[in-house]
Amino acid sequence: MTSPATAAPSVPPSLSLPPSQFARLQPHAYLLAHLSPPPAMNQPSVRANGRAASQFRVTSANAGSLTHTNGSAVVRIGDTAAVCGVRAELLHTEDIASWSVSQSSSATNQSNEAGGQGTDAENEVDRAQIEDLNLLVPNLSLSTGCAPGFIPSAPPSALAQSLSHQILSLLHSTRLVKADDLRVWYQPPNLEHIENEMDVDGGSENRHPREIKAFWVLYIDIMIISLAGNAFDAAWASVLAALRDTKLPKAWWDVDNETILCSEDINEAHKLSLRGMPIASSFCVFEADAAAGWRAVVIPDAEEQNAEKQKKKGPQSRWILADPDGYEEGLTMEKACVVVDKENGKTVILKMEKLGGWTIDTEDLRQLVDISAQRWDEMKQILG
Amino acid sequence: MTAQRQASSAAQTPHLSAAELSYLYTSLSLPNNPIRPDGRSPTQFRPLAAECDILPGTNGSARIGFADGTQAIVGVKAEVEKTTLTADTLDARSLSLQSDLGPSGDGREGTEGSSAATGGHGSWVQMSIEIPGFRDDDALPVFLAEMMRESLVGSVGGKDGDGIERGMAGGLKGRLVINKRWHWRLYIDVLLLSQPLSYPLPLLSLTTHLALLSTKLPKLKSQGEEDPFFDDDWAVAEYLYPRASAGLKFNPSQQVRPPVTLLVISVGENVIFDPNREEIAVADAVLAISVTRDTESQGLKLLTIRTIDPPSRLTQPGVPNSENVNMLGATAPGESVAVLNPATGEEEIPGVWRPRRGGVKRSVIAGMVKTVLKKGGVGEEVLAGLEGVQVG
Amino acid sequence: MLKLPLIKLEMNDRRRINGPPGGTRPAVFASHLESSSAADRARRERQPTELRKIFLKTGLIPSASGSSYLEFQPSASLAAARETPKSLIPPSSALKLACTVHGPKPLPRSAAFSPNLVLTTHVKYAPFAARKRKGHIRDASERDLGVHLETALRGAIIAERWPKSGIDLTITILEAEDDRWWADAPDSHDASWGMMNVLAGCITAASAAIADAHIDCLDLVAGGVAALVSDDSGDSSTTSPRLMLDTDPAEHRSIMSACVVAYMPARDEITELWLKGDSSKAALENGDARSAHEALIDGAVDAARGAYSVLGDALRESVLQTIQS
Repeated sequence: MTSPATAAPSVPPSLSLPPSQFARLQPHAYLLAHLSPPPAMNQPSVRANGRAASQFRVTSANAGSLTHTNGSAVVRIGDTAAVCGVRAELLHTEDIASWSVSQSSSATNQSNEAGGQGTDAENEVDRAQIEDLNLLVPNLSLSTGCAPGFIPSAPPSALAQSLSHQILSLLHSTRLVKADDLRVWYQPPNLEHIENEMDVDGGSENRHPREIKAFWVLYIDIMIISLAGNAFDAAWASVLAALRDTKLPKAWWDVDNETILCSEDINEAHKLSLRGMPIASSFCVFEADAAAGWRAVVIPDAEEQNAEKQKKKGPQSRWILADPDGYEEGLTMEKACVVVDKENGKTVILKMEKLGGWTIDTEDLRQLVDISAQRWDEMKQILG
Repeated sequence: MTAQRQASSAAQTPHLSAAELSYLYTSLSLPNNPIRPDGRSPTQFRPLAAECDILPGTNGSARIGFADGTQAIVGVKAEVEKTTLTADTLDARSLSLQSDLGPSGDGREGTEGSSAATGGHGSWVQMSIEIPGFRDDDALPVFLAEMMRESLVGSVGGKDGDGIERGMAGGLKGRLVINKRWHWRLYIDVLLLSQPLSYPLPLLSLTTHLALLSTKLPKLKSQGEEDPFFDDDWAVAEYLYPRASAGLKFNPSQQVRPPVTLLVISVGENVIFDPNREEIAVADAVLAISVTRDTESQGLKLLTIRTIDPPSRLTQPGVPNSENVNMLGATAPGESVAVLNPATGEEEIPGVWRPRRGGVKRSVIAGMVKTVLKKGGVGEEVLAGLEGVQVG
Repeated sequence: MLKLPLIKLEMNDRRRINGPPGGTRPAVFASHLESSSAADRARRERQPTELRKIFLKTGLIPSASGSSYLEFQPSASLAAARETPKSLIPPSSALKLACTVHGPKPLPRSAAFSPNLVLTTHVKYAPFAARKRKGHIRDASERDLGVHLETALRGAIIAERWPKSGIDLTITILEAEDDRWWADAPDSHDASWGMMNVLAGCITAASAAIADAHIDCLDLVAGGVAALVSDDSGDSSTTSPRLMLDTDPAEHRSIMSACVVAYMPARDEITELWLKGDSSKAALENGDARSAHEALIDGAVDAARGAYSVLGDALRESVLQTIQS
């Protein structure tokens, strides 16, 4: 790390503060000094935490360490740590108020006919069942003492609520979990068996259709144990790793007890077959002009923007920082998040979000997608 | 909020000056012969007035009032409830129904939703405590309720020498079993009618004890595994804690009785019972000890011990003259010399109050428990006193 | 009373994502219905006085003034089940918890004057910590744990060094301990025994976090558990209960009485004691004049001494690290 005197020439040499003090008193100037060192110094532009602008923190993941879960994972991105546990419970269709009328017949017919191919209609049923029946229940908690400012006994903070909902909507929009993994089927025995045997041509046409007796509901609870910026990436990675680790026991309808029973045999349990592996990458924009965020009330028109671009030829005035830590998050207004997956080597954008400012343009976004694609490769290694 | 949090485990500390605290501590810690502010002996309880069966709408009730005006009322209600079969099995439906009904006063269903048909279950006894000025999920009521409930469900009655059950073989839990599929659920509602002038534990515990003693359950008319139905004649109802039948000669001390929780403090080397608010404020250690009669050995047996955070840790220290700026030069040298307090092992200047630090020595705990349990000790005295209250 | 609205509040909590409105049921395993054979039940393979290893590390959470992470060594049966997974039902579980300390910081303006440091403790189970799913709102047992922990720590902290300030101590339990073996029906001595192990872990971890936050204490305070257990099957009730240290309730058939202490070895003092259960029938070895409850307390103190050495090592290690860096 550079010493403050050299990194920030604006500070008179007489007043020599240790770097940590300066970082607290003048956070913006401190970070700016790191990102744009004076040309004479011949130093590369690095962030205050020593990373390059597009560099992510060291990430590690560890799955399956919690005993009382169907699947679990601990993901650490730098000093941010998220623990995710997936617990599966059964939702009996008889407990669903609207079940008998609407879904049972259509759903069963659909899947009976559609067979193996994923038709649009089947996908629609998939989506509807998961979303309408609330089969995925993610909840993120920051009330763990993970950072000062979150009172443990208080209800979920605005940040926790928004993160929970972001995870939920991403689970829904990526259709990560297949509804068929969550269904518990029942094939009623053929009571006309004896009759059928008598008249041979009776055939299998009037056999009872398979019916859904229950759904697995996945309670996905994420505890942020340590928060040092970029909670979303860590939380999402932990959800993904935990879902990849999740095993559901074999379950069947037991006619005698009129309930669903499960097998404890681990060989009969099935893993979830997830659709792809969406990886989230978050970015933030640091602007050299500390007050830019306050002034940006009017969106500049095209001419102004061109003029702006001309100006940019001069010293760089903004940096897009990947995987911001808590210090950087506090200094930036504009944020972006890109979720990508790769199918056969091709990058697919699943979600793109940018908010809080207007400096990221289409070119930048293209670049961010490329960085996110690289991050995908990295995460694939980590998640195994 | 903070003020209440501080008062979480022990009741609010009275606003006593450092000098008053020091005086109290010195007089209470006088070797062998403590002087209590109200002149009681160390083991003497405050006078109290008690009555039973005051609420006709309950299965059992009691009221106790202390002379200082604090009063508590306890009502016990019993309801018949379907038993959920063993460990999370089969009847998961009623299990989920149970959790829909909400967390019971003890909130234990979360961990102990399963229950046994034979042994009875701790979560069948629900206790809620209302203290003016506290929300019912504040630490003090929750702590008190857990403490009292724990000893209630923890006490297991013994069998008679010749193997005849006295009706309480499984303790209170076992008594609540009707048959394999049905059980009683007991709701114990404790109401403190006045502001807690002292730590309300002894008052609440004694009142609960009397209310449970007076609790009657209607006589069961159905047999075996039938759905239960009961005799509507209240006169033939049976006591929850069975009494001696009139014909048999029965020693009252052999009878199974609910446990009582006593509050014991140690000051210096003295052990003091039923402390009032001022006394508890200078205590070195505060213990809540639950005891009940051992039906086998005729003695007392210990059920639970819990330490309670002594409020003396939160008091303000006094300033010795040697450090007091106003007294500069006025103190004779050697006036404030620290001496070692043998009970706490800390250096102290006599007459200058220091908030208590640290914990309790094991020997002190052993001494406190011994005073409660010993034959003819305080525990027996209290239980005998309660037996004197006319019940029913 | 207040109870019903509370749960309704949790069920329709708009600030959280709620599951299906009709509620869900935990999975029922077919093997639950059969009477389980005694052969596969978890057994204690440690000596009665042998403690489980404790993994304790401080300073893992940089945004807190002090932090610690504590993990108990998995029991033999759990380790075996992890090695060669056969069943989806874990035989037992091992405590895992994270603890953070924030402060000392000034008390809010609205708070009353306090001449001492105000300690606030908060213990919460993660929803997936126990065999049964926990709610998001603290229940009575979690609040009770918080009070116990507060008592244990207040005795150790030298509180008058920080007037008008407070510290917040938060413990998140990621994995709790069982109250009994999963297939056992609760017997007449059933109680929430697992909670006592959790408390012992909480005390040790909290003490490490407080030391990590550089808050002056009289001594490190360590938690320990001892219990009187009877392991024989119901029909032969001839042998009397035996005293064991650091009991895992899943490994024993019946726990008669248990005790947890918070202990400061330097002063030989107990700041928190919680003993419950009927210990009157316990028979100690011949020549032991102690009563059963005294033996329990002594046992718990011995267990706490074991935890204390782990505590000391963990803090020494973290100090060495800070010196070197």
